[in-house]
Amino acid sequence: MSRSLRRKVTNALALALSAVATVIGLTCLAAILWTLVSDGLAGVSGHLFTDMTPPPGSAGGLLNAIYGSAALTVIGILIGAPIGILAGTYLAEYGRETRLAGVIRFINDVLLSAPSIIVGLFIYQVVVVPVGHFSAVAGALALAVIAIPVTVRTTEDMLRLVPQGMKDASTALGAYPWRTILGVVYPAARSGIVTGLLLAIARVSGETAPLLFTALNNQFWSTDLAAPIANLPVVIYQFAMSPYPEWQQLAWSGALLITLTILLLSIAARFVLAVLQPAKRSR
Amino acid sequence: MSSVEQGGINLKPSGRVAAAPSTALEEGGIGQTVGQTTVQDPIFSCRKVHVSYGNKHGIRDVSLDIGKRQVLAMIGPSGCGKSTFLRCLNRMNDTIPGARVTGEILLEGRDIHDRQLDVVQLRARVGMVFQKPNPFPKSIYENVAYGPRLHGLARSRAQLDDIVCSSLQRAGLWDEVKDRLAQAGTGLSGGQQQRLCIARTIAVQPEVILMDEPCSALDPVATARIEDLIDELQESYAIVIVTHSMQQAARVSQRTAYFHLGALVEVGETDRIFTNPRHKLTEDYITGRFG
Repeated sequence: MSRSLRRKVTNALALALSAVATVIGLTCLAAILWTLVSDGLAGVSGHLFTDMTPPPGSAGGLLNAIYGSAALTVIGILIGAPIGILAGTYLAEYGRETRLAGVIRFINDVLLSAPSIIVGLFIYQVVVVPVGHFSAVAGALALAVIAIPVTVRTTEDMLRLVPQGMKDASTALGAYPWRTILGVVYPAARSGIVTGLLLAIARVSGETAPLLFTALNNQFWSTDLAAPIANLPVVIYQFAMSPYPEWQQLAWSGALLITLTILLLSIAARFVLAVLQPAKRSR
Repeated sequence: MSSVEQGGINLKPSGRVAAAPSTALEEGGIGQTVGQTTVQDPIFSCRKVHVSYGNKHGIRDVSLDIGKRQVLAMIGPSGCGKSTFLRCLNRMNDTIPGARVTGEILLEGRDIHDRQLDVVQLRARVGMVFQKPNPFPKSIYENVAYGPRLHGLARSRAQLDDIVCSSLQRAGLWDEVKDRLAQAGTGLSGGQQQRLCIARTIAVQPEVILMDEPCSALDPVATARIEDLIDELQESYAIVIVTHSMQQAARVSQRTAYFHLGALVEVGETDRIFTNPRHKLTEDYITGRFG
C-alpha cells in the first residue's frame, strides 16, 4: 500500500469511528429526551401547577414541590454564591500561586467531583441530627455546599481572563486591590460570573441525593423553613418508584419540568455570555 | 513575572555584540554612567537604584535625576531595564511577586519607599501610560472619571464633568468623542484609546507622567498625534518615556538616557547623545550596530 493511500484509509477510518461515536452519544440523548417529552407531556395540565401532591390513587399536581424546589434553590444559591464568588476572587486575585491557594484549589476540585450523597450525609450529620428533624434549611444548606465549588471554579476562571493591563491601569491610578476588583475586574468579568451562577443553579436544581437526607419531602403545602419541604427531585424519586399510575405520571411530568428549567438556564447562560459582552469579543 | 522584562543578562543577547559587554558587566565593565545624571531642581532624584526578581537582576546601580517640565527619553535594547526603572518611579514593581527594589528614590525630596508615604498618593502624583492601550470596559466618561472618583477630586457632578471635559481636551480627544461620552471606551480606535488612557491619567492631576512605549501599538498617524500631545503636556508635567524608536526619542525629549543590560550607560542632552555619544555602547546602539 502506498503511503498516500494508507494516509487516506487511516483518515477515513478515524472519521468513521468518530462519526459512529457521535451518533451513539446523540442517539442516547435523543432517546432520553423523547421518552421524557412523550411520557411527561401527557401529564402536563393546569392542575400540575395548581394542585398539591395527591395521596395514592387520586389526581393532583406538583405545586408544593415546585414551590419547595424554587425556595430551596434560591436560598441555597443565596448562601452559596457569595461564598463561592469571594473564594474565587481570593484564588484569582490574592492567593494566585501561593501554596495556600494551591491547597484550596485542590480541595475545591475534590469537592467539585464529590458524590452529592456525601454532601447530604454531611449536612444530615451536622444539621439534621442535632436539630432532631428534617428541614428546608438543611436542604438549602446542602444545595449551597454543592453550589460553592462550582461558583469558586467559574469565578476564578472568569476573573483570570481579565487582562492584566486593565488591572495595572487601575493600580497605576492609585487604586488599592479591592477598588480595582470592585471597579474594574468585576465589571469586566460580570457576564462570566453571571453565567457561572446560572450553571450553579442548573447544577443544584436537579440534585436528589442531598435532599433525601435533609429536606426530605412533604405531602402538604409548607412554607416553614424549619419543617421538611416538598421538592421536585425527591417527589420524582418517590413517585416513580410507587405502584400508582397517577404518581408515576406526576413523576414523568416533574422530570420534564426540571429538564426544561435546566435547559432554559443553560440557554440563558449562553445568551448572557454571547450577547451581553460584545466588548470582550471585539478584542 | 512574565509581563516584565526580566533581568538584562539572559534576555535577547544579540549574539555578536552582547556577549562581550555581558562579561564585562560582571567585572563592573560598563562602570560609571557617562554624562550628567543630575539636574537643577529635580522632581525625581534616584540614587543607586537596584532591582532584582528572585535571583535575577533587573537593573543595578542606576542614579538619575528627572527634571520638571521636561521629557526624559529612555532608550536601549529589549531587556535592558528601562521599563523596570520606569516602574520603580510609581512603585508598580510592588505588584510583582519576588521583585525587590533597593536604593533611594526621592520625589521632591521625599523617599517614595518611606513607610509613612501612601502608595496611593504616590500614584496620584505619578501617572502611567502603558504600552498597550488599556481602557476599562466602561464608558468613555467613566474611564476618565475613574481616577478623580478614586481620589475624591470632584465634590459635585458638575465638577466631575469639568474634569472629564478638560482632561479629554488636553488629551486632544474631546472633539472626537464629545457626542458619545456614554459609549464604551473599548470601541475607540487604538490611537484614540491611547489618548483616552492619557486623559484618564491627567484627570488625576499628576506631576509626572510615565509612558512605557506608548506608541508601539499604534500606526504612524496616531503616533504623530501622541508625540504632538507629549510636546503640549511637557509644559505642565515632567514626562518620562520609554521608547524603542530613536527617532521618537530625538523628536520628543530634551534628555535621553541609554540603558544596557540593566545599567545606565549614558545620559545627557538629547541633541548631544545623538550627535556626540561618549560611550562606545551608546554609539553602537544609536548608529544601529545592534539593538
